Amino acid sequence: MKLPIRWTLPVILFMTVFTLTMSPYAMAFFDDDEACLLCHKYPRMTRVTEDGAIRSYYVMPEVFANTVHRNVPCRDCHSYIKQLPHRAVETGVQCDSECHSVKNPATGKPFSHKPIYNAYKDSVHGRDKIVEGPDSDKPYCITCHTNPIYDPNEVGPPKHIVDRCVICHEDRKFVTQWYKHTSRRIREVKRNPEQIVALCTSCHGDERLIDRHVKQAKEQGRELGKKFSIAAKSYAESFHGKLTNYGFDKTANCLDCHADSENYYKSVHDIRPSSDPLSSVHKDNRLETCKKCHVYADENYASLDPHPNASLEDGKLTYYAEKIYNVISIVVIIGLVGLSMFETFGRRRDGVSFRLRQGTSWRRKSKRGRDRVV
Amino acid sequence: MKLSDEARSILETSLQQNHSSEKDRKEIEQLLKDLPDDRVLIYKNVVSNPVGDLYRYSIHIRLHHMLTFVTFLTLAFTGLPIHFFHAVWAEPLNSFLGGVDVTRIIHRTIAVIMIFTMTYHILTITLGSIARISAKRFDLRRTIIPGLKDIRDFRDDIKYFSGKKDQRPEMDKFNYKQKIHYFAAAFGNLVMVVSGSSFLFPDIWASILPATMASHFQELMRLSHPHEALLALLVIAFWHWYNVHLAPGRFPMQWTFLTGKITREHQIEEHFLEYLRNLVEVPEERHLLRDMLESREIIAESDTDTASNS
Repeated sequence: MKLPIRWTLPVILFMTVFTLTMSPYAMAFFDDDEACLLCHKYPRMTRVTEDGAIRSYYVMPEVFANTVHRNVPCRDCHSYIKQLPHRAVETGVQCDSECHSVKNPATGKPFSHKPIYNAYKDSVHGRDKIVEGPDSDKPYCITCHTNPIYDPNEVGPPKHIVDRCVICHEDRKFVTQWYKHTSRRIREVKRNPEQIVALCTSCHGDERLIDRHVKQAKEQGRELGKKFSIAAKSYAESFHGKLTNYGFDKTANCLDCHADSENYYKSVHDIRPSSDPLSSVHKDNRLETCKKCHVYADENYASLDPHPNASLEDGKLTYYAEKIYNVISIVVIIGLVGLSMFETFGRRRDGVSFRLRQGTSWRRKSKRGRDRVV
Repeated sequence: MKLSDEARSILETSLQQNHSSEKDRKEIEQLLKDLPDDRVLIYKNVVSNPVGDLYRYSIHIRLHHMLTFVTFLTLAFTGLPIHFFHAVWAEPLNSFLGGVDVTRIIHRTIAVIMIFTMTYHILTITLGSIARISAKRFDLRRTIIPGLKDIRDFRDDIKYFSGKKDQRPEMDKFNYKQKIHYFAAAFGNLVMVVSGSSFLFPDIWASILPATMASHFQELMRLSHPHEALLALLVIAFWHWYNVHLAPGRFPMQWTFLTGKITREHQIEEHFLEYLRNLVEVPEERHLLRDMLESREIIAESDTDTASNS
């Protein structure tokens, strides 16, 4: 639809007025005591890097006000900022920093993600925030923790509960926030199996990334896990993978085997290579891991391959078996269909028709001169 | 018609097993003497009922076929979308059948019915054979057991189709095609049951097998189940259905799986030896055949026949 020319001015006017009036409204979403939005409220606040990429430093107040970190002042994380305007950022935010403004109610100390960060650092995925080379392929906290926006339609606490709390805690806003904070953590916050597989596959299914790491490991003489290069593909081909693919959640996903069930939430950050004795898929721990679901599993069972594949390097038997199966299938089908066609050709030549009519199918003229007597 | 040694042997066995009277024997011998040597002329000139003329399958065999037919297709439709999950049709077909939560239950339940059908079939043919042996009516050549004759039949049939022979071979109740199909299906069923059970009870199989074999076995079974299923489906779709629905003379449908009867022209063409037994076991068939061929002047009207008719 083309807008009539006479509407152009009113529309521009309306948009300008709307933008001007809405900006202070947006800023009112959270307390910006440090006045960071003074600059970062501008959508065009960007920088072109040395590589030619455009980096945006725009903070959308109404979005940030709905994230988990909305109550944390900017400089609790961006602690390297000491003056305004601040200098170029070189280290970035480390997720193990302490939030001085938020106290851990259990210990009274400043809140920090340090315990889980340290578990992550010890894992096979552990890396620093800013790294060069192949380690930069490893996930940092924000690769998985995408800081999701809260559901704006989320139902708050019922009035009768808030009424009871405010008698001592006085502040209705605080009570509502505390209720939401606690109730959200009581609810299951895991990704569902399909999302877990998709997340792991986003790296372990990336062939260029895999090639880089295989090449690097070769150069360094480092041995990678036997299934490293086919982890995602072979899982998809496995029974577990096929069922998860259809949204069935009672089968193993990546984390069910590669994370320890002792403390799921901690161990998903502490995934280790199968060569590490602490890994749940280390050969000494494999049986216990299988037994979480397959209760009758024994030593033999633990030797079954959960990442099956028919590649020549890893599964010679299945590789050749599959080839033989394919040849047999093709030969059988071509042979049988060919036989039927040949049979039809021979019988047609002798006068058979496609319909059994008037008590016979042999109504056509035979090339051999022995037809049905009419 | 001069019978081959093979056909003669079948006829003699049948006459003996049916305790046929001398009069019957004479009647059959006379009929055979009158029949032309060219069998093609016989099956081209008889009249057939599309739904079948001559008894072939008992109600049990028809039930086995029906159960296999239903279970096989249901198993294929519920199983294939799981293996070929990346195919375009997989997701819609799976959703249409109720999703994997439902299809896995259907698949296992139907698998149990398929195993029941196998057992029922084995019981039927075993007990049937025992009953025939004890009644002295058993003839190994009349069973599905393959023999060297089948290889000869196959060779001769190929010669007929290519025009090097003017007659199809004299085949028995089950010809080489049916024997291939039957044993392929039996082997396929066995593979499906064993491999299927290795998915359902992997721990039991692992505990039974030696440690060095357990993983290889599971791998092979994982490979065999879908490959065998797909092969079976392709064989059914492109060979079996062609043979019973689309092949000339069988179009639009061969009714044997419902009525248990085969058409006369089909019996003479593809199962001539069984037709000889029909001549022994079904006295009316001799008269019917004679009348049909006489009316078309394939055989001369015999005096005895004219006398009996008048």
